[in-house]
Amino acid sequence: MSTTEEIKATEENKTMTEDNKMTNEENKEDKNKTVTLESSDGATFVVDVAAATLSQAIKHWLDEENDTDMAIPFPNVTSTILAMVIEYCKKHAGPEPEDALKEWDAKFANVDQTVMFDLILAANYMDIKGLLDLFCQSVADMIKDKTVEEVRKIFNIENDFTEEEERALRDEHKWAFE
Amino acid sequence: MLHCSKILSKTLKPKPKSKKLKSKSKPKTLKSTNPKDPFEEDDEAFTLKPSESSTTNHVVQPLGNLYLTSNGHNSRDSGLGDLKILTDELVLEILGFLDGNHLGILGTVSRSLYVFCCHEPIWRNLVLEKFGGGFVFNGSWRGTYVEICYPEFDVSRAKGDGVVVRDFYSDYLFQSWLCAGIEMREEWICRDNVARRRGISVEEFTREFEEKNRPVLLEGCMDDWDAMRRWDRRYLVETCGDVRFAVGPVEMRLEDYFVYADNVREERPLYLFDPNFVKKVPILGAQYDVPVYFREDLFSVLGDERPDYRWIIIGPAGSGSSFHIDPNSTAAWNAVIKGSKKWVLFPPDVVPPGVHPSPDGAEVACPVSIIEWFMNFYAETKNWKKKPTECVCKAGEVIFVPNGWWHLVINLEESLAITQNYVCRRNLLNVLDFLKKPNASDLVSGTSDRVNLHDKFKKAIEVLCPGTIDQLLRKEEEKTANAKKLPFWEAATDSNAGAFKFSF
Repeated sequence: MSTTEEIKATEENKTMTEDNKMTNEENKEDKNKTVTLESSDGATFVVDVAAATLSQAIKHWLDEENDTDMAIPFPNVTSTILAMVIEYCKKHAGPEPEDALKEWDAKFANVDQTVMFDLILAANYMDIKGLLDLFCQSVADMIKDKTVEEVRKIFNIENDFTEEEERALRDEHKWAFE
Repeated sequence: MLHCSKILSKTLKPKPKSKKLKSKSKPKTLKSTNPKDPFEEDDEAFTLKPSESSTTNHVVQPLGNLYLTSNGHNSRDSGLGDLKILTDELVLEILGFLDGNHLGILGTVSRSLYVFCCHEPIWRNLVLEKFGGGFVFNGSWRGTYVEICYPEFDVSRAKGDGVVVRDFYSDYLFQSWLCAGIEMREEWICRDNVARRRGISVEEFTREFEEKNRPVLLEGCMDDWDAMRRWDRRYLVETCGDVRFAVGPVEMRLEDYFVYADNVREERPLYLFDPNFVKKVPILGAQYDVPVYFREDLFSVLGDERPDYRWIIIGPAGSGSSFHIDPNSTAAWNAVIKGSKKWVLFPPDVVPPGVHPSPDGAEVACPVSIIEWFMNFYAETKNWKKKPTECVCKAGEVIFVPNGWWHLVINLEESLAITQNYVCRRNLLNVLDFLKKPNASDLVSGTSDRVNLHDKFKKAIEVLCPGTIDQLLRKEEEKTANAKKLPFWEAATDSNAGAFKFSF
């Protein structure tokens, strides 16, 4: 081959290698784009990294672990709850504006007490601040402006004060009842 | 789960909602359940601070004690109802969303909720959020809140004598209650291995300590300070009792801060740490001198645009700073005018136990309070090859903290100090590198113009001392060419696994 042809060939080879390199990197990126989460009852969920990393726990896992093929186990979280957590994360990782999200949150938070507590535990375990705050606020809202008796009823709390103690306490807390 | 917290500024986090790592110690048990008796003295027991009147009359016991009871009844669970499946931290998290009167009402629902609603940190948050630094502390945060919001109510009635709760078991609340009352143990204070010098020349200091990046405690540098003669409670209150100083997340009148400091008993007392004290009270700036060793301060070329560099520090026993590295890769000196401070320092390549820096150095998670660190992690350091440098720094002494060193400080008694950060010629390259980092805007602290600080600084240095940077770069290149590489095992053996290298 003439020198010019040789140079051309080398350059072609170079481009081809670069192309291959790019495809490989794209593949790697594609792989990195989702992560698999596994619930306590063995269900698996494939989630976009953007949504999954709303969970700081998952974010740190990904920062430190290179093997994103492996499913991340959540032995404390059932599939029902994990599905809801993922729903929240997907919504909040999306492009929607604040007000729309707030509206969605309000509807999303309208769940049974048991589910609420399970979500709080999951959000805490997975370290998802927004979700945790949303449901802690919901529980707090259940308590606000209720009478003592109403609170006991809502959460099935037994009154373990003697009459005397309760009187003393009411006196001590008189300021709150006015 | 761990929450990371930004620590590269000297103020405390406003909401102490940080999650705690599981304590490494075995489950604690108390010997006595009578709140009036001191706990039996033995090796495992802790001495509690004396108190004339506790803020509440109930006793929180560690979970371990539950297994010693005959009926295994924990009023915590029965009094929470459906909420009992949540952890204590989560219950407190929920309570954090309630206002004062809601908490007041909730505290009458059950014994358990009474204990939860007495938890002082919740009330501290309420006071600080609602009133900033505008409060006069009356012995408890709950009492302080009630007094401000309901001035007609006789707050001495809110003492908590009405109910005595004895059967409440909770590790989290116990730990919190214990740490609020505990005193520093002798074995945490007695180790003192820092180099001490008196009257050395600047040249000797530079050669032996600054260039070798070694800490040293210097005596005799404050003998001529007006501050040493004049600064006491009375003088400060007379001079600037009305001035508002930076205290944690708020600003408080100095006089009000002293009232708080005299009456508080908590795990993480608010700390007065003000970077603008000279602007606020110019005469204070005239009553102390920068010790001769630290006079080369290159950030001064930036004039008013320089990051925060000098602080007045006042705090009660138990206040202090948990492990951190000083901002902007600077070195520091800390001079105690009144009181005494316990220091624990680790070199840049040794991460202290219980501390978790993020890979980029922007965040450091140290989930435990200072006192909890001593309780749970200090003993570990006894077995390390690279032991920490420790000392107690007393009035009249100055400690030099070399750049990049981890340090923790706790006041052993009410203390008053001045601290300054500075950049010297030998540290210039480190600082420039640090400022050049891609995440400089996260890491650089104490200035409003983070991103351009590097360029501004470099330019200013070039103008004032042309050629310095190039000269230093050349010297550095020579040094690296000549430096011996540490044998692998020496570098690897004494740091705990996963030691983080804070590289510049």
